[in-house]
Amino acid sequence: MSEEIIADRRVHPGSIILRLVKEAPSVVFGLPAAFAFFSGSGVWRILMVAGAICALVIFLNWLAWRSFRYGVGEREIVIESGILSRNRRSIPFDRVQDVDIERGPLARAFGLAKVRIETGAGGKDEGVLDSITVAEADRLRGAVRAWHAHGVSEAAALPEATALAAPAQEGRLLFSMDLPRVLLFGLFSFSLVYIASLFALLQTFDQALPFDIYDPARWIGLVEHNLPGRLTAAAIGFLLFVAVLLGVIAGLVRTVARDYGYRLMSEGVRFRRERGLFTRTEAVIAKARVQLAMVATGPIRGRFGWSGLLFQTLGAASDGSGMQAAAPFARREEIETILADAGTLRLPPPPELQMVSSRHIVRAVAASVLPALVAIVVGAIVFRPALFLLALLPALAMGAALQRRFHRYALDGELLFIARGVWRRRLWIVPVANAQAISVARSWLQRRLGLATLSVDTAGAPLARGARIVDVRHGIAEALAAEIAAGRRLYSSGRKSGTDR
Amino acid sequence: MTPLDLGQLWVMRIHAAIFALLLLLAGAGAEAVLRGNIDLPRGVIVLPLLIACIWLVFIAPARRFSGWGYAMDAEELQVRRGRLTRVHTMVPLDRVQHLDIAQGPLERSFGVSRLIVHTAGTLHSQVVLPGLARPTAEAMRDEIRARIKRDSV
Repeated sequence: MSEEIIADRRVHPGSIILRLVKEAPSVVFGLPAAFAFFSGSGVWRILMVAGAICALVIFLNWLAWRSFRYGVGEREIVIESGILSRNRRSIPFDRVQDVDIERGPLARAFGLAKVRIETGAGGKDEGVLDSITVAEADRLRGAVRAWHAHGVSEAAALPEATALAAPAQEGRLLFSMDLPRVLLFGLFSFSLVYIASLFALLQTFDQALPFDIYDPARWIGLVEHNLPGRLTAAAIGFLLFVAVLLGVIAGLVRTVARDYGYRLMSEGVRFRRERGLFTRTEAVIAKARVQLAMVATGPIRGRFGWSGLLFQTLGAASDGSGMQAAAPFARREEIETILADAGTLRLPPPPELQMVSSRHIVRAVAASVLPALVAIVVGAIVFRPALFLLALLPALAMGAALQRRFHRYALDGELLFIARGVWRRRLWIVPVANAQAISVARSWLQRRLGLATLSVDTAGAPLARGARIVDVRHGIAEALAAEIAAGRRLYSSGRKSGTDR
Repeated sequence: MTPLDLGQLWVMRIHAAIFALLLLLAGAGAEAVLRGNIDLPRGVIVLPLLIACIWLVFIAPARRFSGWGYAMDAEELQVRRGRLTRVHTMVPLDRVQHLDIAQGPLERSFGVSRLIVHTAGTLHSQVVLPGLARPTAEAMRDEIRARIKRDSV
């Protein structure tokens, strides 16, 4: 069976130009701009330099294109690359978990698509074909699926394999977002972080701007010019308003670009997600690979009944974490529909979740107030008025005390529910059958208070945001751990999850 | 819970002794440099370090040793560790991806080895259980392996 596969295919020649255009802003225009900046030479000379660089980049891209070859066999795909030292990589089909197709605005104009072959091995660029025609991408995906459908003998136990094997039927639309909803979501995605990235962007182009944005004298002059004499409260208010406005606009633009035309489809044993305005991405989430679900919301959007649904899957998602968005901005009923479709998942039952021990407040207050107190006292040694900051401590303590109200849990049959977070409210829905390890930890202070932290480790969990119940009474934690372990035996005997091998 | 093999206590003590020796050497060096520049009494660094090292070598290992414990039944492996922060981890045996038995030179001379259990999780992607007598570790490994084999067939 191990016939030698000849890597005789190349990616589409259009990708040479595509790559040039993608790199253009930084390479082609950046260098002459720097050149002109230093020598102050004429327009023609700059154009000549730009042309030469263009030619060089095209030549390099052509070399890369020429040396990159791939071939699709019956059982594996082979990729050969490298100009001087050749590198041959073969990816067996039974290791392929997802075939993602991504189409940027330029690629769409050329009728091309970027294909990423995910194997769940963590390496991000394991098999990327940038870019091939859409027909070729479909053919590749078809080959992988055909293999999974026919070479069942070995693949039967692999749920992701059977997930891919299902024919590409037209799926049932589970969830979609129209433009008003995407815009509303964008309003909630307000963040000042985007302003920072805006400045970073300005910095890239600052040579093209007619003035230096980092010249403080200019800004002070502008303010003084417009508001003669002094910086009034109104001016500060105005600046704040502009900052908030920029944050809102940046959030809107980013959200629309990412989530425009959001569609989540259920196709038998997998979900298919399409989204994006400029770059249309398509991803497949095999239902059997879903380890747990997370419902995330915030205090304001939560009040209006909106929240987002994420699935934690095996292996890395495109953004590096194991979390895949299923419905970024949805109503409770919509989330229920998707969860029901995913298998055993559901939202917590109407009887409220249980709060953790009241002594959680002691720990939370200690954890938030003590470091602040130390910082203020140290600061006050250098700068006496820092003592006024002590007035903020009660607010901090109150915030910490609130944490308990939002940290709740329940073990209901085969599902463990954990809610946590005051500002970013998260609800973990963990099928106990997917627990990889269960641990009960007790720090020095927790032992004094008779508390423990119960954490349930799952595959693909982000390190910092795993599912854990912080500060339940020690006896309860041990009992819960035993119950989860017992439930895990009970519920995992019936079905095989993706990690049983 | 079963405590670790006594050989592990000696391994811990010798590890601590090596570390303490290095610490003392570094402290002595630092003190020599400092006393060359500033007028300081003799032993200003070494003496406190010495007290710390006595604790490190003669008291701490026994405490840490007593923090460890394990139990294994047909379904899961339980590992308890830590004195200050106590952690009790349960690893379901059918979740084990693969197993290692590791043995350093010091461990070999005391006849103990480490059992390393890998799972697909993130937080406890590997659970290390040190201080098992070699036959015990091998017996446990074989049992877990048999369990995995039975499940995957």
